Amino acid sequence: MENAVREVLAMLGLCALALGSAQGADWKMDPAGSRLEFIATFEKTPAPGVFKEFDARLRFDPEKPAGGSLDVTVKVTSADMNIPDVNKEIRGKDWFDYAGFPHAEFRSTDLRRTEGNRYVARGTLSLKGMKQPVEVPFTWTASAGGATMEGELTVKRGAFGIGAGEWAATDVIGADVKVKFTVKLRKAG
Amino acid sequence: MLRNDADSWGAPAKFFHWVMAALILAQIALGVTAASWRVSPTKIELFFWHKSTGVLILALVALRLLWRLANPAPALPSGMAAWERAAARLSHLLLYLLMIALPVTGWIVNSASNIPFRIFWLIPLPAIVAPDKSTADLFALVHGGLAAALAVVLVAHIGAALRHHFVKRNTVLTRMLPGAWRTP
Repeated sequence: MENAVREVLAMLGLCALALGSAQGADWKMDPAGSRLEFIATFEKTPAPGVFKEFDARLRFDPEKPAGGSLDVTVKVTSADMNIPDVNKEIRGKDWFDYAGFPHAEFRSTDLRRTEGNRYVARGTLSLKGMKQPVEVPFTWTASAGGATMEGELTVKRGAFGIGAGEWAATDVIGADVKVKFTVKLRKAG
Repeated sequence: MLRNDADSWGAPAKFFHWVMAALILAQIALGVTAASWRVSPTKIELFFWHKSTGVLILALVALRLLWRLANPAPALPSGMAAWERAAARLSHLLLYLLMIALPVTGWIVNSASNIPFRIFWLIPLPAIVAPDKSTADLFALVHGGLAAALAVVLVAHIGAALRHHFVKRNTVLTRMLPGAWRTP
C-alpha cells in the first residue's frame, strides 16, 4: 500500500515535471533593452531602419525548447529609416501600406535547439496581409534577472509585396532585407 | 608637350578642360532631370549617377587646380581691352569656384538627407554634416542656385571663346583644341 502511494506520487511528480518542461516558462519583453532592425539596400548600399514598437511573448525552456511558443507583434507604422523623404514614401500602398496593414506578426510553435545556445523558431510571418513560412535563428543568453534573445535573418521583400509595381525591380532597391533583433526578456508572473 | 608655355596649353591641361567640359554638361542634364523626375526607381538611378559624377568632378578639379598652379596659363592675346582681361579673369575664377562649390554643396545635401550612397557602388561617401532636414533643404536650394550661376558663366565662357575665334580671329579657342583638331 505504501509502495503504491509512493509510486502514484512519483508518477504525478514526473507528469508535473514533464508538463512544466514541455511548456517552459513564460517570458515578457523588456522594451527598453530590445531592438528590432531591418536593413534594406539602396543602390547596393545598406539602408538601415528600425521598428520602434514591437512586442515579443515567449514560452520557452532553453533545456527543452520543444513545446514552447514565440509570438512577436510589430507595429509596422513605427518604422523609421531616419530619412524624412523615405519615411514618407514607406507609408504608402507600394511599401508597408500603413493604412491597410498597421501590424505584422510572427508566430511559432516549433522551437528547436540547433547547438549549444543556438535555437531556431520555425513559424509564419504575416506582413502586409501575406503569410510566409520563416525560420528565425536566435541565441539565448541567460542573465541575472532574465535572458536575451539575439539573431538575424534575411527575408525577401517581394514575398510580402513590399515594394510593389515598378519598385518590385531589385536593381535599385535590393530583394533581400536583413532583419536583426535583440530581445531582452524577464520571466513573467 | 606636357607643360603649358607662353602661347599654348599642354596635353594635361587640355585633357582636364575637355573631359571636365563633357562631365559638367552631362552633370547639369542629370541633375535637372533627377530633380524634376517623379519619385521612382529611375529618379534614384539618376541621382546615383549625378552624385557619382559629382564626386568624380570634385576629384578632377582638385588635380586640375594643382596642375594649373604648377603651370602658368598661356598669355592672353595682346590687344585685349582691360575690361576683356578682367572679364576673362573673373569668369575663369568663377568657373573654378563653382566646380568646387557645386560638388561640395551636393555632398552637404547628400549628408544632411542621410541617404546611403557609395560612389559608383564602390566607395561609401562619408557624411560631412549631420542628418538634418532643414540643412538638406537649404543646401539643395543653394546647390540649385549655384547650378544656375554655372549655366550663366558657361554661356559667357563659350560665347567668349567663339567670339575670340570668329570675331577677333585669334588663337584662344584653337590653342585649347586637342592636337589633331588644331588648324596649322
